[in-house]
Amino acid sequence: MTSCSGCISTLFSLDIFPQFFEKTEIAYFPYIRDEEKLGSYDIALIEGCITQEFQIRLIQEIRRAARKVYSLGSCAVLGGLISLSKKKKVDPLSNFIEVDGIIPGCPPPSNLFGNCLMNLLENKMIKLSNKNQCYSCPLREGFDYEFKSKITKLIPNSRDINSTQNPKCFLSQGVLCLGPVTREGCDNKCINKGMPCDGCLGSPSKSLFSNIFNFLSLLDLSNDLKTYEGIFYRYSKPSIKR
Amino acid sequence: MIKLQKIVEPCRRVEGNGNIKIILKRDTIEHVEFEIPEIRGFENILNNKKVQDVPRIVSRICGLCHASQTIVSNKAIEDLYDINPPSQSIILRRILLIGELIKSHAMHYFFQSFPDLLKILNFQEISNPYELMQFDPQLTSSVFDIIKLGSEIDRIFGGRYVHLISCITGGVIYSPSQININLIRKLLLKGSSHAKYLIENFIKLFSNKTPPGSFDLPKINYLGLSNQGSYDRYKGDLVLKNYRNQSNFSAKDYQSFFNKNVGTFGVSFHQDDNMGLITGPIAREKINGISNSEKIAPYFKKINEKWKESILFQNFLELIEINYEIHQCLKLLDENSLNERCELPDLGEIQKSEGIGILEAPRGLLMHYYKINQNESVIQAKLFIATEINIPLINFMTLKYALELNKNEAIDKVKKKIMQMIRAFDPCISCASH
Repeated sequence: MTSCSGCISTLFSLDIFPQFFEKTEIAYFPYIRDEEKLGSYDIALIEGCITQEFQIRLIQEIRRAARKVYSLGSCAVLGGLISLSKKKKVDPLSNFIEVDGIIPGCPPPSNLFGNCLMNLLENKMIKLSNKNQCYSCPLREGFDYEFKSKITKLIPNSRDINSTQNPKCFLSQGVLCLGPVTREGCDNKCINKGMPCDGCLGSPSKSLFSNIFNFLSLLDLSNDLKTYEGIFYRYSKPSIKR
Repeated sequence: MIKLQKIVEPCRRVEGNGNIKIILKRDTIEHVEFEIPEIRGFENILNNKKVQDVPRIVSRICGLCHASQTIVSNKAIEDLYDINPPSQSIILRRILLIGELIKSHAMHYFFQSFPDLLKILNFQEISNPYELMQFDPQLTSSVFDIIKLGSEIDRIFGGRYVHLISCITGGVIYSPSQININLIRKLLLKGSSHAKYLIENFIKLFSNKTPPGSFDLPKINYLGLSNQGSYDRYKGDLVLKNYRNQSNFSAKDYQSFFNKNVGTFGVSFHQDDNMGLITGPIAREKINGISNSEKIAPYFKKINEKWKESILFQNFLELIEINYEIHQCLKLLDENSLNERCELPDLGEIQKSEGIGILEAPRGLLMHYYKINQNESVIQAKLFIATEINIPLINFMTLKYALELNKNEAIDKVKKKIMQMIRAFDPCISCASH
């Protein structure tokens, strides 16, 4: 569907990809195969969001053709980054078809993705954590439960990121981090590297938006962040008009 | 009145969603076009975004060229702040670009182009990668190892395989451990022997064959980056070159040579010689001539000269670039203090209202232009993408080929064959549909 092909690119990078390639028959994959028509499949992984009518028909056909269908990546699961567009109507797959599971992330974290594929090969369900990023965050000790700090920045100053001082929770540094409302499962990759979480794994609960709105109401945001379009629903468009 | 018939069909084995559109008049081809059916609108998405936020957004233009998109964006923003990243960060960025190129070229060669070469040059029809695996297991494992090498470089130096975390404005925020540097060195040495195998395999299979004349490039202009005549994908001036003359110019003077309308598809060039234009591995070779380097030259001597006129030569150049960049990466890893944390510059105050970043992505020239306001938010973004630049030439050659084929062959066969030509260009539709 409509995407950056980052999920496909990640698939080829996985440690287990060569074994996965040999153990399965990847039967329909326009990136590497010529098939024009769909057959019948045990498992379908669909990446990308829905932005065009023909894609709705295509995913409905895939749904009929496959025993199990999984949404792969933030675009398929939530709508994805194109949700930032004011001109495009962007939908996740689940707005049109029933999916059997999701593999979220932009891109899906390699360990999570690899484990999900192994589970699918063994005919097991995909298991995702219901906990948030803070649960496993290396900076959780400094978490300010009262959210006293004024949040003024989207990312830390470049000089601060590479500082050798002990890092603190981003929120207490005045940097917006969506970790409290984002599902864990990526080994806190961004946070470990010095960047705040931008929410690509989506919410641990069903409604990302209600979570984000509740979360934001707790924060003391600077005026320009209060009106900034582009971080609070970066990977999923709200159903209300902006 | 004669009714025209339109056929639109998805192009298979290309990166992203592109169609071939054929217009028929009484079952005869009137027009053929490689069509990008959807523009996602990143230039509009960037409006009102804070500049520091832009690199994370533009990375999502493409999951294959993500490092190029992120790094070029940072370069454009550094131009706005008039800051320079430390030399260690530049080395790390160069390494990340190498990881991306190795993986991208290997994937295109194996999954998309190699089966076409086998078919076009009358070896064997391969319809899926499993047959390819049986055709040459060693080639398969070499390619898989090279894909893994590129991926691991980006994971270790960039934080993850795709959409790097470490590249920010001002530099690279993460330094790898010595253990990881040693690991990458080992993988590169192994990758070097795989790359050598791929090149020798290409020479063994194809060097004495003559590619079909329909794939020959017309007289064209070559566009790319050159660092004082040397191959450099990170730093340099722009070069526009053809068989008669050459213009070297700074990125800030781009409007004298080309421009684009924001939010629409395509880059318009002002040259008035009616010649097509190409960017990417072929242009890089024509402009900087890596074939002259000591290690590469012997391979070129073994290739039938006819190859060098063909777009199919791009496949060979992809393998050459993989090999060349693996060796470049080994040299970069030898730089001192790569694993030490390095202080990045403060951004300070915005110095200019317009910034430009430029580099060579795997498929050619990539340039980002941002205009910002006093709140450090983008008010205009123009993204110049290699595949957008190549599409007029793709369409010119595809139409010519289709008309030629249509004299003797049915439309279904024509469709399949023109897809081979499109794939030879290695279009990146995700980038082009930004």
